[in-house]
Amino acid sequence: MGCFFSKKSKRKSGDKEDRTPTTTTVETTTTVETTTTSNAVPLGNSTDEAPKQYSWDKREKVDPKDYMLTGLKDVTVGRLPGKLNGQQFVIQECENCNIYVLDHSATITIDDCVNCRIVLGPVKGSVFFRDCKDIKCVVACQQFRTRDCKKMDVFLCCATQPIIESSTGMKFGCFQYFYPEMAFHFKDAGLSIFNNNWSNIHDFTPVSGENNWSLLPEASAVQDFVPVPDAESEFKSVRISNDPARSIVPLTKGGRRKDSEESCLFVFFAGEYTTANARKMIDEATAKGFNSAEDLVEWITKGPVIALELNGDGVVEACKNIANEVFSGTKVFVSDNKNTSSRDVDSFFNFADMQMGL
Amino acid sequence: MGLLSILRKLKSTPDQEVRILLLGLDNGGKTTLLKQLASEDISHITPTQGFNIKSVQSQGFKLNVWDIGGQRKIRPYWRNYFENTDVLIYVIDSADRKRFEETGQELAELLDEEKLSGVPVLLFANKQDLLTAAPASEIAEGLNLHTIRDRMWQIQSCSALTGEGIQEGMNWVCKSVNSKKK
Repeated sequence: MGCFFSKKSKRKSGDKEDRTPTTTTVETTTTVETTTTSNAVPLGNSTDEAPKQYSWDKREKVDPKDYMLTGLKDVTVGRLPGKLNGQQFVIQECENCNIYVLDHSATITIDDCVNCRIVLGPVKGSVFFRDCKDIKCVVACQQFRTRDCKKMDVFLCCATQPIIESSTGMKFGCFQYFYPEMAFHFKDAGLSIFNNNWSNIHDFTPVSGENNWSLLPEASAVQDFVPVPDAESEFKSVRISNDPARSIVPLTKGGRRKDSEESCLFVFFAGEYTTANARKMIDEATAKGFNSAEDLVEWITKGPVIALELNGDGVVEACKNIANEVFSGTKVFVSDNKNTSSRDVDSFFNFADMQMGL
Repeated sequence: MGLLSILRKLKSTPDQEVRILLLGLDNGGKTTLLKQLASEDISHITPTQGFNIKSVQSQGFKLNVWDIGGQRKIRPYWRNYFENTDVLIYVIDSADRKRFEETGQELAELLDEEKLSGVPVLLFANKQDLLTAAPASEIAEGLNLHTIRDRMWQIQSCSALTGEGIQEGMNWVCKSVNSKKK
């Protein structure tokens, strides 16, 4: 069986054909089958094309080129909010470009790009970089994948464990970005701002004695890597902010060493204001000098809970005070004392990790 | 269509076990497909590092579906799962045109494998919900499927995300397994 798509077919096919009598040696034009979609003669014929009308047969036809950026050089380009509306997007063969995809999408592949700065608004499925080099990017997605990439700095919000393959010089930091519409884009993409696995990367091709990936320095500012769009560009209407305090996705330390031995578990149960409350808690805690080490959304029978691990000396007391003063009417769980709080954190997140893996 | 109803459609075999192998390039949608078959949440799926397996059992008869990770680095391990496979499901990302050649290559190698000889293959032309998806007929042509002579095969358009087309594909899987077991 040769493959039309491939430029060279594998040697194996040639050898086998001489030995096994059941395979034909040439491609014959006289075929028994009446269809190109099946040879299921013994089972009866069934094509999937004509009769069945799937949703993709019925939808309005659009020009795929409107959803692709190909072969651009030295330009500022991308998509404004509302221009993608959840469709697939493709970026390929771009060089020295500033690319701003400021809308939610289904999935994005980025191929053969060099020296680009890229912002990818919330992606419902996967973001897949292949054969790219010297990229600085801000990405929010369900899955993050790379293959054959070199030297990338990624400010990431990823719902699952990011993976890299045959890639080197990969650096990761916590997603930091804001534009007003982005909160809606996260919702449209089905991504939680509290579920960010940016710092624990799985490498399919580790090299002993070397690290293909590392974390960006903690104080890294996005604007030093990915500039705001040129004031003269089509993106000037989008009110982008790089202020870390305004980031749609709260900053988390990820796998970094914690500043303090003391952590506190704070859980908001399902309710109408869960997300807003959790956000408020993070702001309160941050204002008092505590870090949110990890946050997570998890589904339980009544609905999603949002759990925060907050870290810093005196954090348990502070959390209890905040719970009483700010959230007195809300159903929350707060660690009771600093001696048992790290056990609370471990128990909860170990369980959550298990649930959220397959 | 759940795994249990698939199991019930399958005729009982002497070994009392049907084994389905799910292969294809990474990012193709194999795990999403598996989760769909198991009627589980598909909004939070991690890239597969090793493999996933779903098993259902009914009246002493068992169905196992193996979903193996498709990264280039770990494709050499696919052969560890070939033995006793009753049907191969090969998942193609119809919207990743850049990798059509690669997926064709991997498929060709699989069809040359001794341990998979004669095993029926269902090709899911997945991700039809995406804008740049090539139709199944185009994929069938590009992969020269009509030259497959040594086994039963079928290509089916689907979207593992919406669930469309999966039932049709799995019906064919059941029929192909049953016809072989006679």
